[in-house]
Amino acid sequence: MNNIIAICCLIVSLALCSLAGAVDSPMAQLKPTLKSLTDLLADESLKGDVHRDVRRAKIMDAIEVGFDFQEMSKRILGKTWNEITPAEQERFTREMIKLLENIYVGKLESYSGQQIDFLEERVKDRRAQVSTTIDNNGVKVPVHYILNLTDSRWMVYDINIEGVSLVSNYREQFKSILRKEKFAGLIKAIEEKNRSFAEGTEASR
Amino acid sequence: MKKLCVFACMISASLLALATPSLLPAATETAAVSPRIPDLLAEEEYDEEGEAVAEEEIFDPLEPWNRGVYVFNDKLYVWVLNPVRDVYKAAVPQDIRGCIGNFVSNLSAPVVLVNTLLQGRFADAWTVMSRFGINTVLGVYGFGDPAASEFDMAPPSADFGQTLGRWGAVGGPYLYWPLFGPANVRDTVGLVADNMAHPVNFMELNSSELLGYTSGTFINRLTLVPDIQEEIKTYSLDPYVATRQAYYDYRNSRINGRRQPAAE
Repeated sequence: MNNIIAICCLIVSLALCSLAGAVDSPMAQLKPTLKSLTDLLADESLKGDVHRDVRRAKIMDAIEVGFDFQEMSKRILGKTWNEITPAEQERFTREMIKLLENIYVGKLESYSGQQIDFLEERVKDRRAQVSTTIDNNGVKVPVHYILNLTDSRWMVYDINIEGVSLVSNYREQFKSILRKEKFAGLIKAIEEKNRSFAEGTEASR
Repeated sequence: MKKLCVFACMISASLLALATPSLLPAATETAAVSPRIPDLLAEEEYDEEGEAVAEEEIFDPLEPWNRGVYVFNDKLYVWVLNPVRDVYKAAVPQDIRGCIGNFVSNLSAPVVLVNTLLQGRFADAWTVMSRFGINTVLGVYGFGDPAASEFDMAPPSADFGQTLGRWGAVGGPYLYWPLFGPANVRDTVGLVADNMAHPVNFMELNSSELLGYTSGTFINRLTLVPDIQEEIKTYSLDPYVATRQAYYDYRNSRINGRRQPAAE
């Protein structure tokens, strides 16, 4: 009897193993995405403001593989996401991708070395946390990526730098804007912000 | 008299730590192998239907007043402090500013030590003491930081607001102070206590010397830390809310992140 139980346990655990093995670990999937990002940032032929647009386009193509911008936008907007039309959702996501590019990639561009160390990963149901540090002038800045398991792979939907979550920070800002100016005012403010980044680089050229 | 009490507390706490050396080296080892990584998945932000779980709102009853101070501070920095900082930065070479920064942080070691002990972070307390010893002797009164450069000992940080938070004190209303910026009631109490316990208070400086020291080190520090205010203005749509949220999250991660045992 005990033997049968043991064999059953073995079979079940093997089955679980193969299920778990179907998708690579979050860290294993995030590594190549960030590697291609840092390679592009380190690429001498793409450096400087002159190559900014080309560089940004390549970086965004590279990280789109592992970053779920729609999920990010949805979480940032909170319950308002369900109250707007699909067209508005699309418009919001498009502007958010631009904003996140300006924030996240712009921030990485300002760091001296783009040495990323992978510390550990945690998986909880369909969510995971991959903890890294990025080196900025010898100071190791902790950056945590929060991922969601979609159909085929782990996708980043939040970035947490030194305890400060990108999603919750923007969600709180947007909440206060939504309260006063509704969605129409918010989308205008985001477009305005994105324009200010574009103008900033025009001016520095 | 109060100052004497604070001082006595610090001495006795340090002696307590020295009296239990057997605990300390072992604790340092565990701290060295496992960096503290907060568990960011602990809270579920979404329920099963995909609805955002209502997050606790930051208690900010003084928001209109705080927003006013925020605007004032922004102008203060843009028009007064940043120009002063830039002149100072141009006049004093980076090496010297770095040395002054090292000296100031070395001098605050007793305050950090007391706080690490009050928080039960014995490994960090040991690091603070070792760093103080190494930097005071080999770093010439703390102007250099050989503890970090030669012995690979990163400076632990601890403050009394964090200690109170770890003891279970709630933050209370959010406060935005002129000059100092974001805080809440708990961290304001912490800041005042840390400043009262600072060794510079026991040096019998007269008030103008004290003012000179304080403002000098304040400007010096401005040249060494990244300009977060400017950065938040660049990246956010509502800088006031962004600052408040970032402050809240950062402080919470400093309070809760250190509470969990490092090795799981």
